[in-house]
Amino acid sequence: MTTVAPPTDVTRAPRTAARNRRRTGRFAPYVYLAPAMTLFTLFLALPIAYAVYLSLRATKVSGLGLGAGAKTEVWAGFDNYARALSDPDFIASVVRVGLYGLLLVPTMLGLALVFALLLDARRTGAKSFSRVSIFLPYAVPAVIASLLWGFLYLPRVSPFYYVFDLIGWDAPQILSSQLVIFAIANIGLWGGVGFNMIVIYTALKAIPSELYEAARLDGASELQVAWRVKVPIVTPSLILTFLFSMIATLQVFAEPMTLRPLTNTISTTWSPLMKVYRDAFVRDDIYSAAATSVIIALATFVLSFGFLRLVQRRAFSQENS
Amino acid sequence: MTASTLARPAARPADLKPTVRFRTERRSPLATGVLLLGAVYCLLPVVWVLVAATKNSAELFSTFTFAPSTHLWSNIQELSAYRGGLFWRWMANTALYAGVGGLLSVTVSAMAGYGLAKFQFVGKKATFNIILAGVLVPGVILAIPQYLLLAEVGLTNTYWSVLLPSVISPYGIYLARIYAAASVPDDVIEAARTDGAKEWRIFTQIATPMMIPGLVTVFLFQFVAIWNNFMLPYIMLGDDKLFPITVGLSGLLNQGATQPAMYTAVITGALLSILPLVALFLTLQRYWQVDLAAGAVKA
Amino acid sequence: MRLHTGLKVAAALAATTLLMTACSSGSDSPGTDDTAAGPVDLVFWTWAPGMDEIAAVWNESHPDIQVTVNKQDGGDAAVTKLLTAIKAGSGAPDIMQAEYQKIPTLVSSDALADLSGELSEDTASHFSDGMWEAVTLGSDAVYGVPQDSGPMELYYRADIFEQYGLAVPTTWEEYAQVAEQLHTADPTKYLGTFSAQDAGWFTGLAQQAGASWWGIDGEAWTVDIDADPTQKVAAYWGDLVEKGVIDNKPMYTPEWGAALNDGTQVAWVSAIWGPGVLEGNAPDTAGLWKMAPMPQWESGDEATGNWGGSATSVTTQSEHPAEAAQFIEWMNSSQEGVNLLVEKGSVYPADIPGQAEALAEPPAFFSNQPDFYTIAAQIAQTVQPFQYGPNVNVAYSAYNDEFGKAAEAKSASLFTDAVTAMQTATVEDLKNSGFTVKE
Repeated sequence: MTTVAPPTDVTRAPRTAARNRRRTGRFAPYVYLAPAMTLFTLFLALPIAYAVYLSLRATKVSGLGLGAGAKTEVWAGFDNYARALSDPDFIASVVRVGLYGLLLVPTMLGLALVFALLLDARRTGAKSFSRVSIFLPYAVPAVIASLLWGFLYLPRVSPFYYVFDLIGWDAPQILSSQLVIFAIANIGLWGGVGFNMIVIYTALKAIPSELYEAARLDGASELQVAWRVKVPIVTPSLILTFLFSMIATLQVFAEPMTLRPLTNTISTTWSPLMKVYRDAFVRDDIYSAAATSVIIALATFVLSFGFLRLVQRRAFSQENS
Repeated sequence: MTASTLARPAARPADLKPTVRFRTERRSPLATGVLLLGAVYCLLPVVWVLVAATKNSAELFSTFTFAPSTHLWSNIQELSAYRGGLFWRWMANTALYAGVGGLLSVTVSAMAGYGLAKFQFVGKKATFNIILAGVLVPGVILAIPQYLLLAEVGLTNTYWSVLLPSVISPYGIYLARIYAAASVPDDVIEAARTDGAKEWRIFTQIATPMMIPGLVTVFLFQFVAIWNNFMLPYIMLGDDKLFPITVGLSGLLNQGATQPAMYTAVITGALLSILPLVALFLTLQRYWQVDLAAGAVKA
Repeated sequence: MRLHTGLKVAAALAATTLLMTACSSGSDSPGTDDTAAGPVDLVFWTWAPGMDEIAAVWNESHPDIQVTVNKQDGGDAAVTKLLTAIKAGSGAPDIMQAEYQKIPTLVSSDALADLSGELSEDTASHFSDGMWEAVTLGSDAVYGVPQDSGPMELYYRADIFEQYGLAVPTTWEEYAQVAEQLHTADPTKYLGTFSAQDAGWFTGLAQQAGASWWGIDGEAWTVDIDADPTQKVAAYWGDLVEKGVIDNKPMYTPEWGAALNDGTQVAWVSAIWGPGVLEGNAPDTAGLWKMAPMPQWESGDEATGNWGGSATSVTTQSEHPAEAAQFIEWMNSSQEGVNLLVEKGSVYPADIPGQAEALAEPPAFFSNQPDFYTIAAQIAQTVQPFQYGPNVNVAYSAYNDEFGKAAEAKSASLFTDAVTAMQTATVEDLKNSGFTVKE
């Protein structure tokens, strides 16, 4: 047991404390939340508000636009939004990332579930080695992970192509336009499967063992116990990992960005966030970038809450007030 | 079935599970094999970087990928010599940003999580939802507005400009709330209050120790998140002595078209930067438990 | 009431935070408050190697003006970082390395100070007209001092050329023939690659063919990307890629480095700074390369383009523009500075009077070609005029996307379409921002 048992004999306070308690108790939650809310306001809420403000603005240039004062900021209304939503590159990036999510999220969670069940199963060996190894990629920043995989993808420097060469097979060009989405999804999978495995494994660990000992005594096989008892129990965890993975998917950025210089097949607007980056950092148009970000955030919001609504009725039927 | 799960009292730490082993059962080669396959897949790039860091720049492009060489030490020396040991300064900076940032973040998250889990107050639900919505905003775009606002108070290009925005973490607060709800029983708090303990004392002396395992997880989580955040330090910092390792290495890789990328330095740097994290993860192994769902139950 | 207390606490906390940070910020941001007696501190953002060593030499002899080098990422984002600092009103360095193609963008955002009053009168005479035009944008203002330039040449593996009996191409027609000859003799080998990642490279090729993508006509910008010279260049390379005699993979990847090293890439159309990149990527091939003038469109022509190079500029936020100008003038147009640029920074200096002494020896990687810099100096005089506009990055990212598609599909017709798409994207962006565009 890792949690420390509560000290039963708390130092007695003076009797008057009983009166104070009521007052401090009433303010206490605000005190606890004050640092978080202050920082939240300063470093998230204000910048978000500022980004929304920027999304409604634009720069206007007069004439040649050279020299001091040639560029001014003006009110743009919803122009930036209209332009983003009618930009075929943006729409293509949304479709692409949708496909990417369909590829990545089920694979990642499926594997994470399998690994977690295997770690929890009694007849599996090499558990702690595998657990550490599979979780390890979580410690590697996405930028570095993509750099490593980039080396492994390029035919001339990759060991895989070397092996294919030895056998005499034609290896598939993983960075070609048909396969590049798998190349990017693989990096996401590599970095994410361990974390999700740990989440599910934690949930599995919390299951009172009587629950499935009973099933075992009834003659259920390990597989049946896993499928009929364990999986339904960890469903809430699966749903939340799904939700967080979905949000992360919509914001995929570092992987395609790092791989981009290696291939012709990743455009500067491959994912929606790459378009944001391009607008803000390459085109120096933070106004369009802000508008696109707001659209992405709203879409993520609608999707995640829609998804929660959908599953809440099923999985969390007892939940909430 | 699900309903019965949801009714379970709280997430229990891993060690709680009875360790009775049914030694009579044989190991399944299939199960072990699948798990090992996963391990090998995850280790492959790490092994690669380990091997690649031993090569000099000619070997990097000519010898077989997994054939190790003998230049690890000279690569490290070369990297250490770069601009008077700047690399180690980046490592120290990263430790500062991720370590101190992580600790501050845990403190703030623990307080907020505890406040949200253990008190009823006006605006509680709204507060929680607003904080959670912070998850949805991509950091890429926040960096510029954050810069513009911090510039107003003259804070850009300082350690603070990276530390302060890193402290607030919606995920951290979410997780801390779960741990507070799951590991601090209401009746213990009530008992302490009846005994006349001050609120702050209950939090620091009773609740926090009970939440420690969860808070370590939050710390790891935040540590990795800050470590991974590239855009914020990239925008905030102009002075390369303040850079964290990710921004520093990226600079070695992108020196413009007229210079070759310093691949060996970047690969050696990547290896050296991953090592402390691996060590951290191994030593804190038993705290790897992230129970996302308990919060949904209690919410 | 409750809320009131909560707010008070929040306000107190916020105030503490600000106080805490206000105390610490002064010491950490150089280049701000130096009005008191003592040396002037200048912050210099650059990504070029060796600049800190050059600044150290300056600092040694100029105790009153101390330059601190902050090394930056060489990507586009460095410019955004500067522009954000300009917009915010603080955080910009005093001195900034500015690539020539970025200067109009920086000037239009009012990021670069006009140094015309700060520099010696003969500064202009140190540079070729083309270089000087790039830092003045044709006006009376001076937005920086040219540091290095990148006249383009052809690098080739002399040993492999000899092995396959190939002649060094002097025209693009010959280049195409040699490419085919080599690739037929050994299908793993290529005479070069078409890189859709390197817009600056393609711009140089178009420049050689006579293109100038932007122009000023009265009070309006003109955009001339989709015109004959650029179309000709695109069609030429598209044809080579479609035939498969030239590779279609990007440059500057680990794979490309390996190909240079093992002799799969047999030649490289590049610029004067090429030796440094070759040395870094293909250390095994020292002494095997040679440099020749670019192939020409018409036999007997002498024209080349420019790829890379940058000026050193002073930002509008600098409180010491005079001192900053003094430093960059020394670095870029004094004999001592130019010698250091070559020795420490391995650049091809833009300063003409200083070249002879600084470039007496060929680059170490090309010790087999003793007259390397003599040839280079002749080539440098044939750089064609070219004007950049205020949204080069838009054109360049359109280049990445459109030519990326074309190169991947290996389709010559997509290459010429890509030029048209670049034109459209560039013009639309200018109009959207409110620039006056003449079509």
